[in-house]
Amino acid sequence: MTRRFPFFRFNPQTQKKLQRFRSIRRGYVSFLILATGVVLSIAGELLVNSRALVVRYDGHWYFPTYGRIHTGKEFGLDYAYEVNYRDLRARFAQEPAGRNWLLLPPVPYNPIENCYAGETFRPRPPEWGTKHFLGTDQINRDILARLVYGFRNALVFATAFILLTYLVGITIGCLMGYFGGWFDLLVQRLIEIWSNIPFLFVVIIVASIVPPGIGMNLGVLLFIVVLFSWTGMTYYMRSATYREKARDYVHAAQVLGAGTTRIIFKHILPNVLSTIVTFIPFTIASSISALTALDFLGFGLPPPTPSWGELLRQGTSNLQSPWIVASAFSALVLVLVLVTFIGEAIREAFDPKKFTTYQ
Amino acid sequence: MSSSLSLRLASALTGLVLLVAGCGQSDSSAPPAQKTGATAANAGSSVMEADLAKTLQAEPNFYVFKTAADLPPGLNWENGANLPEFADLKAKKGGTFHYEISDFPRTLRTVGPDANGSFRGYLLDNVEPAFIVPHPTIAGAAFPGLLRDWAVGADGKTIFYRIDPQARWSDGKPLTTADVVFTFYFMRSPLLNEPWYNDYYKKNYTQLIVYDNLTFATLHPERKPDLPVRVGNFVPYPRHAFQDFAADWIEKFQWRELPKLGAYQTFAKDIDKGRSITLTRLKDWWAADKRFFRGRFNPDRYHLEVIRDPDKAVEAFARGDLDIMPLGLPKYWYETIPETHPEVAAGRILRFKFYNQTPRPDWGLWINRSKPILENRDVRVGVQYATNVALVCSQFFRGDAEQMQTRSDGYGWRMHPTITARPFDPKLAREHFAKAGFTTQGADGVLTNAAGQRLSFTITSAGQAQRDVMQILKEEALKSGLEYKLEILDATTGWKKMQEKNHDIALAALNRSVELYPRYWEMYHGSNAYADLYTQSGKDTPQATGSDANPKPRQVKPNTNNMTMTALPELDRLIEAYDKAESIEDIKRLAAQIEQIIHDDAGWVPGWQRPFLRGGYWRYVKWPQGFNVAQARDLEEFFVHWIDVDEKKEIEAARKSGRTYPNALQVFDQFKRN
Repeated sequence: MTRRFPFFRFNPQTQKKLQRFRSIRRGYVSFLILATGVVLSIAGELLVNSRALVVRYDGHWYFPTYGRIHTGKEFGLDYAYEVNYRDLRARFAQEPAGRNWLLLPPVPYNPIENCYAGETFRPRPPEWGTKHFLGTDQINRDILARLVYGFRNALVFATAFILLTYLVGITIGCLMGYFGGWFDLLVQRLIEIWSNIPFLFVVIIVASIVPPGIGMNLGVLLFIVVLFSWTGMTYYMRSATYREKARDYVHAAQVLGAGTTRIIFKHILPNVLSTIVTFIPFTIASSISALTALDFLGFGLPPPTPSWGELLRQGTSNLQSPWIVASAFSALVLVLVLVTFIGEAIREAFDPKKFTTYQ
Repeated sequence: MSSSLSLRLASALTGLVLLVAGCGQSDSSAPPAQKTGATAANAGSSVMEADLAKTLQAEPNFYVFKTAADLPPGLNWENGANLPEFADLKAKKGGTFHYEISDFPRTLRTVGPDANGSFRGYLLDNVEPAFIVPHPTIAGAAFPGLLRDWAVGADGKTIFYRIDPQARWSDGKPLTTADVVFTFYFMRSPLLNEPWYNDYYKKNYTQLIVYDNLTFATLHPERKPDLPVRVGNFVPYPRHAFQDFAADWIEKFQWRELPKLGAYQTFAKDIDKGRSITLTRLKDWWAADKRFFRGRFNPDRYHLEVIRDPDKAVEAFARGDLDIMPLGLPKYWYETIPETHPEVAAGRILRFKFYNQTPRPDWGLWINRSKPILENRDVRVGVQYATNVALVCSQFFRGDAEQMQTRSDGYGWRMHPTITARPFDPKLAREHFAKAGFTTQGADGVLTNAAGQRLSFTITSAGQAQRDVMQILKEEALKSGLEYKLEILDATTGWKKMQEKNHDIALAALNRSVELYPRYWEMYHGSNAYADLYTQSGKDTPQATGSDANPKPRQVKPNTNNMTMTALPELDRLIEAYDKAESIEDIKRLAAQIEQIIHDDAGWVPGWQRPFLRGGYWRYVKWPQGFNVAQARDLEEFFVHWIDVDEKKEIEAARKSGRTYPNALQVFDQFKRN
């Protein structure tokens, strides 16, 4: 009986909810599309990359996708920096067939390289022949590659963002609801004050003083955004905990001598999980929008990190090259619409009203 | 943004050049009672006059009054009569010229807080004649603006001026030495609320001598080959219009119409705050028929509309709302208004490319020599070879920009003849990095040394403008095993970081004024790198760094333009000699030696500059033969253009009827250098 609500195993009620989610077609299909996108972007290096998947050279096999760089010298060229695999393939093609060969990913470009070495830096329209399926941006970088890797960065950001805001928001919200009284009042007032600090100004100030470096900057950016986003979650958790606290099973646990932490996280939390689940998709949507907005304003990730906001900004300042803004805009709208559909479906699936009739 | 930054850079640069020198002494301190009638005329009649009289008495060594008989005999008076004029004498007066300003000025004052904006050009710099004006096509030459003539004294430190008797303020009052006395009082007054001008007029002018109503002289601490242009290029202020000058003058004069000496007056009724300002040409301007002023300042009205977004300004020009438009950015030139633009194709808008000769902002990478790995010269030389400025010039700026070679680029014949920037060459870069111990290439292609340090530096920029350039340099640098991290800060924060010498490498430029020869002291003298580099006895006795007398300097000197943190005793000695040099030959010889040391030290990666102005103008805007003057920094700086009113009507009709004209790119390359 005590094992009735294990943290990560779904109970029959939850299974019912998931079944109901699957039956909501629009949301479920959206979920499948988005899940596919996530999986593909995780495997981005195999699909969109300037490095070859396999190289056969002088009787040796190379798998350069992950791991260290291979220099031009390793393939008989005269330079000590990373070999250009597209040029290498062109060279192999001139040699007698079959001896040396390599296999490039479907989109043979990485998101930060100048794809037209020695040519003018300017946006180029989509072209299937050169495999620039969405064209290039103003410094000759492949837009599709930047979209894919930008999506992945946004996902990493969103995941970390959800974990952190929920950790802080749920903990504080549950404590407020569980303890109530002066603690609840005090923290509520603090939250009200805190949420009145203008978020963008803080971002501008911090963005102008933090040192560069992608890891550092993603961390700092995440920290600032989380700092100002955890408050929303507390309200929901507070009221949900208030409600649960009055129930018999909580009293029973208290009588049995369970500690506060155990009661909150072992007994109450699993019962309010459905509230949290319905919020997740919308949190993802808002965190992707936040990152994009910050990048658009120039306070986001340091260049040349691929990001959608940066693409949007380039697009709006190069309206004569509509493929830039169109790609970024469509991708953003598509993802946000999918996430919203999923969110609606989850909310519907988890809605208790389905089983209750109010009179 | 970039223009405001360069303005600030320019003032910082000028501010730093002022060296304290000995104060000129004079034994001829006649009491103020004997001064010329003009200066005494209003004494005591207002608050300002009372304060002025007090100042004259308090500073008898600066304000000196003599008689015309005291003028030294045998002065060689100059008036630029042998110099060519640069405007077109056939220019037609009339019409209204339409142009844009990117922001509304915050004041009509030309000094004091907020006065140093870009609009000041229309109020002072480009419109009001100075006493002595540098000739814009002949380096080092000058012509009189408000003077009949001038002379350099036998000591080489005194300039004598004879005011043009016809010079009039726009309210009809004549220009006299009373205005000159007031100008010095005004510029040196603490009430001015402008420490920079206070300082400038105290350090560079050691004495003012008034001989009569129209004759005066100024004394200076140092001899210089271009002294008349350096110190005579100032504009007087009307004494009679400043009778209520007092501590509260900044508010009182914020939007006040003042009498002018130049061709254009700004009337209060023509100020539409936040939207536009119109200048009006004086119908009976006293200098209208004078040499060097004939054929200039032609439009009757000069309408300046505020357009804050540069993209919108270009569109307004294409619509015909503006008469001219610079199209410097490749985007505007190749994409917004290309050859195929309907108005260009119809010949109604003419596109031009004008090669001018003027020192440009010195874009480049300023390597901070005080940082651990960058203190190694081999690393710096490697950085030079690893930085692909040539690619940026040829492919990002589409061949419009060229790589700079030396610090003195743009100073014409004063440039170093043979030094060239190091080319992009990953092999040579790697050789130099190897000499510095960076021999192992890591998994990501970045070199490391035996201690495991990565060859990785941060490039800092002040503002977003160079974002693309930095990304290109980063990608190219990796070919040499060098990693650049990019730090794009906003203008204020970035500039502060560079001024406090906290950067590894800064991508920045200092604006440079049109001068006879370049400056080095601000950027390269050791005392601008370390506050404790030299002993108290002064800069004449430099101590070698690291010696017992003066252990390795540690105290970084912030807020100077020595952003490479260069402190080389030999270079310091040369720069001191250069700043004291009195002849052009010495200046040229020392400059060449200085350039060689700077090049060998490899602390500054020469960046790019665009050797021309380009843009478009509507066909009815006319220009002199050869378009503009050699030293024009922008299209209107010398006001040599005019509007052909009849042709304007014709073109407007043609836009409706679809009539076309011959169209061709106007290229003016008479001032182009190879």
